[in-house]
Amino acid sequence: MRYEIGQNAYIKLVLHALKHKISAVNGVLVGRYSSGDGDGEVVEISEAIPLFHSLQIGLLPSLEIALLQIEEYYGSQGLNLVGYFHANERFDDYELNNVAKNIGDHIYRYFPQAAILLLDNKKLAALPKGKDHSPVMQLYTRDASKNWKLVGSEGSSSLITKEPTANIVLLDYVSSQKWQDIVDFDDHLDDISKDWLNPRLFE
Amino acid sequence: MVSKSEEEQLNRLESQVENGGGGAWEYLCLIRKLKIRRSDNVLKYGLTILNDPKKRSSIGNDEWTLYEQVAIAALDCHSYDVAKDCIKVLRKKFPESKRIARLEAMLLEAKGLWEEADKAYSSLLEDNPLDQATHKRRVAMAKAEGDILKAVEWLNKYLEIFMADHEAWRELAEIYVSLQMYKQAAFCYEELILSQPTVPLYHLSYADVLYTLGGLENLQTAKKYYASTIDLTGGKNTRALYGTCLCASAIAQLTKGGRNREDKENQDLHSLAVTALEKDYKKRAPSKLPLLTSTLRSLKLSS
Repeated sequence: MRYEIGQNAYIKLVLHALKHKISAVNGVLVGRYSSGDGDGEVVEISEAIPLFHSLQIGLLPSLEIALLQIEEYYGSQGLNLVGYFHANERFDDYELNNVAKNIGDHIYRYFPQAAILLLDNKKLAALPKGKDHSPVMQLYTRDASKNWKLVGSEGSSSLITKEPTANIVLLDYVSSQKWQDIVDFDDHLDDISKDWLNPRLFE
Repeated sequence: MVSKSEEEQLNRLESQVENGGGGAWEYLCLIRKLKIRRSDNVLKYGLTILNDPKKRSSIGNDEWTLYEQVAIAALDCHSYDVAKDCIKVLRKKFPESKRIARLEAMLLEAKGLWEEADKAYSSLLEDNPLDQATHKRRVAMAKAEGDILKAVEWLNKYLEIFMADHEAWRELAEIYVSLQMYKQAAFCYEELILSQPTVPLYHLSYADVLYTLGGLENLQTAKKYYASTIDLTGGKNTRALYGTCLCASAIAQLTKGGRNREDKENQDLHSLAVTALEKDYKKRAPSKLPLLTSTLRSLKLSS
């Protein structure tokens, strides 16, 4: 299964993590499944909504409100929840914690090809030095025994960015500190005039 | 904990300094007072003062406080040489100081030299077992190493002695939530509410944890604490208003065909919260109002 993440969604998630360097952050992925036409099955991740950067990550109320609104908004566009993004608090923490797995399980119930993406901090730190086009995230999918497993490079699934220049654009935004403009659901709940859809972020 | 107006004041100062309008010292003092973590700016602006002899003498004896503040910010930003230099200056001025010994241990910690740092902290604690800051550094170090259970153990031990340390209770609650140990998190918030009953944040977090735990009794208590949050914040807390709607809906689901009087009260509270939210969204986030209305309606339908 190919997971193709759109540039805007990809960049939004990484910028969100960079805005809140000292805490964990999370977000949800929105898109659709396509059986491909000779091109193979693909899950198109067309949008990402940054959710929380506080202890709200482990609590239900804000998550439920956020998911209700996100599903409602994107449902009318024929898109659904296709996955979850998580960035751990510590630089070298590559463990997928239970909160992430629980949210992943919830999304899986409605979308069996659901994916969890975990920010790969070391890869992100190394970006300016190399010419890596691959996304700075690890891909997890659910296996037959209902466990979330890391997909390796020889696995049957893969994660790519839709636009090959995504990392170059990302680095550009990083150097201009674009992360300051990102609004997540936590920000919205603190001040409802802030829009979690980030409509003018990339203008 | 910082209020919205305090944060706005800080942000205003920050842009003023950023745009060359001066006020770096005021900014640094405010950061110290509010205990906010903006290490990249503290490092930048702090060094402009420390590296200029005229500016340094203009702040008199506060110079030493600034060296300490910049040292810690430098550690946070991985600028170990700057930190080392600041600590050296401080050491020269205060050769016997335990406070600077702690800074030196923090340098070891920042570099990831866990064992050496642990030795340094432990010896500081041997000399002074009531040194709160060093106790907390050990907890922070356990967290940084990834040994979250050790951090929990030490934080609990710390709180047995220093049970009035509210920030420590909050930290412990947050760690418990991240571990999904909600009952233990609830206990922390209960302690906080007991000692500081008029702080709305504790009521709100307590309600959030109870809702997450679930079950009729917890939901009913959560609803009460969302209500007290609304009371303490003059009805302005969006999270508490949403929480009220969620509770009302969940309770109604669990008590289908139940007692009538509480159902009516439940519905009233729900409608009040809905009205308050819609009024606020209409005023401050009108583009989101239709989405809000249908979300709240779907909550009502499921009840």
